[in-house]
Amino acid sequence: MVDNASRKIWDVIVIGTGMGGGPIGRVLAQAGLSVLFLEKGPMGAPAEEQTLDSEVFDPVARQVRGYWPKPIKATINGRMSEFFAPIGAAVGGSSVFYAATLERPERRDIDSINTMPHPTGGWPVSYDEFLPYFTKTEQMFYVHGQEDPLYQDGPSNLIQPPETTPEDKAMKDGFKAKGLHPYHAHMAIKNMPECMQCLGKKCPHGGKMDGRSAGVMPALETGNAEIIDMCEVTALKGEAGSISHIIASRKGQTLTFRARCYVLAAGALSSPRLLLASASDEWPNGCANSSGLVGKNLMFHLNEMFAVFPKSDSNGPSKAIAMRDLYNDNQDRHGMMQAMGIDASYGEIVHYLNMMFDRSFLSRLKFLRQFTRIPAMIAIKIFGRAKIFVGLLEDLPYKENRVEFNADKPDEIQVHYRFTPELLQRRRSFRKRIKKAMRGQRSAFIGFQPELNFGHACGTVCFGSDPSSSVLDRNCRAHDVDNLYVVDSSFMPTSMGVNPSLMIAANALRVGDHIIVDLTGKEGQDRD
Amino acid sequence: MTNKAKKLTDGIAVVTGAGSGLGRALAIGLADSGMQVVGFGRRENALQETCDLIADGRFIPMVVDIADGVSVRRAFSKIRKLGDVTILINNAGVFPRRDCLDETAESFMQTVAINLGGTFACSRAALETMTETGVGRIINVSSFADIAPMPAAAAYSVSKGAGQILTRALVADLGDRFPGIVISTWMPGMLATDMGIPDGLPPQVSAGWGIKLALWHDPELNGVVFEQDSEILPPRSLKGRIKDKLLGRARKPRRIS
Repeated sequence: MVDNASRKIWDVIVIGTGMGGGPIGRVLAQAGLSVLFLEKGPMGAPAEEQTLDSEVFDPVARQVRGYWPKPIKATINGRMSEFFAPIGAAVGGSSVFYAATLERPERRDIDSINTMPHPTGGWPVSYDEFLPYFTKTEQMFYVHGQEDPLYQDGPSNLIQPPETTPEDKAMKDGFKAKGLHPYHAHMAIKNMPECMQCLGKKCPHGGKMDGRSAGVMPALETGNAEIIDMCEVTALKGEAGSISHIIASRKGQTLTFRARCYVLAAGALSSPRLLLASASDEWPNGCANSSGLVGKNLMFHLNEMFAVFPKSDSNGPSKAIAMRDLYNDNQDRHGMMQAMGIDASYGEIVHYLNMMFDRSFLSRLKFLRQFTRIPAMIAIKIFGRAKIFVGLLEDLPYKENRVEFNADKPDEIQVHYRFTPELLQRRRSFRKRIKKAMRGQRSAFIGFQPELNFGHACGTVCFGSDPSSSVLDRNCRAHDVDNLYVVDSSFMPTSMGVNPSLMIAANALRVGDHIIVDLTGKEGQDRD
Repeated sequence: MTNKAKKLTDGIAVVTGAGSGLGRALAIGLADSGMQVVGFGRRENALQETCDLIADGRFIPMVVDIADGVSVRRAFSKIRKLGDVTILINNAGVFPRRDCLDETAESFMQTVAINLGGTFACSRAALETMTETGVGRIINVSSFADIAPMPAAAAYSVSKGAGQILTRALVADLGDRFPGIVISTWMPGMLATDMGIPDGLPPQVSAGWGIKLALWHDPELNGVVFEQDSEILPPRSLKGRIKDKLLGRARKPRRIS
């Protein structure tokens, strides 16, 4: 099969099968185009239901489980640390482990509006142009949830959510009494009888909609698509403004693949590295990099985690509560608050503290790591059965924040990031607002240092209208290369105040329509 | 795949070494409890005798040499056409009495190939189906021979001890990914069988516990060891035991009821 795939000239090769690659491959295959997915990670067995466990450290064991095999190396504020980031390498990418949160961004995330000018002047594609694709994605991903009382542009086509659990109802009542506006989070889960609510773990029933279940699997069902797993693309080759073939490695074998059009969807920490790894005489700065911006403008969200104690005794974690009361604060760009879907149990706190430890200056003193158990035991005494919530704080683009490619260690993700005073200022105001909003309920912040959400990387191959200040055009086609598109979170000029998943998938569907028109000559329904 | 097994009793139970002793008793008991049973063995006559003791159609004999991976894979692909394997009892084993000076490297490894290699081969083949359905129970029949090996039992003791490690190693690989595939070690006790002792337990008695354990589908049983009808807790250090006592967390062994 691999040999045949190598001989054929495909209409489209999709590199990476997460929230961007899965859905775009699906719409392309459904439009009759031949599609080859190339995925670094394994297909995995259908019944798998593991969580993303950072305590598994053997690279082979990690790979088998669909985790990114190696630790990432991050230099944060000048201090280097190594740790396992919450990213996947599997069919479905990181999305097979996600919490299925598909929340729409707000207009101010994309457009400049009167009350809130956009820091970049606005994305090259307007909110209104994205709207039909949000709707389409919500349908494709069976999104259920309640309308957000605070947000007029929110979806009105959502599937009725399952009945609120007593735990969630008690939490919601508590928030409402404080004048907040909780709603049932927008979640991509089919309501099935055997549903286990696989938030944060692989779903064995095909009920959680992700890059695999809503993308790759329906694409393969058309008969127009094929997938090769355990296959890592190592270089894009070509000359002038177009890619002629790509080089990949699979189980020690070097392979070549060809297509009319290439879609890069390896994630914001890897797509730029592949472009940089493809540097050649033709492209001395890397493929599609005449702007020099490939890998730059790396953004994450800051996670402000806090524990809230329910008034009544309750079992089971809150999973489905979201609030946008603090999304904006006058001119300040904050973000949404949502339930983490976990209780503050002893194991989770140890895990969380270990992650903090690995990133701290103490990490060289390995023997100290076991002592994270002591604060965890104290925390569990204090927190008991607290529900954990997170406030996402929007990050903004800065060129110095970047992901780098190291030719000596081509498979190592190297990140350089500095907290800007501007971000830390907004963080202070966000925390103050959260504290105020939670007043009257027993609550506490978890952690004091700013915590980057390494699962929400974006911005590293950004789109824009000006080739000197962006890598991709408004259709996410490379300014420099006429048959290369990038559809993971790399394209995003700003990180928004919501989880990136819905935006990634919606944009992939939008780009898919352009590629269909390009390759078939048939009008896409939303062509401009 | 249509009608995938959702619980143990939806599928097929495979018992190795079903031609005699404990294996025969396990096959009969599982069939009596309503399971469709496939019995592996090397001797066709012996398997047929087991078959004659079981109601029509409930037992399918298959002549399989579990030391031979090809033979095992072929058998499991035949079973696949009948349904999903949900239970595997790795019961087959040999116990050649031989002084180590009478063993050759080859004869030693032949015993290991059956007792340990056969357990892995059958487990590996059954996992093809179990990792698709997410439903499975594997019982590795073992003994205490590894703790204090008796004279003339080197290959047996080594392979049986390794079988217990195999249970734990399989759980290390699979436990987090497939919590619905539950793997345990079971020591049936000293039995009055060809391999056992004349005044041992009747195999039917012990098989009764084995069957209940095989039908007990609780992820908590992943990696545990049972002797006859009781759980053997993993050894704890003195410090650990004191801590358990102080915190009132001492664990009670589970029992098969």
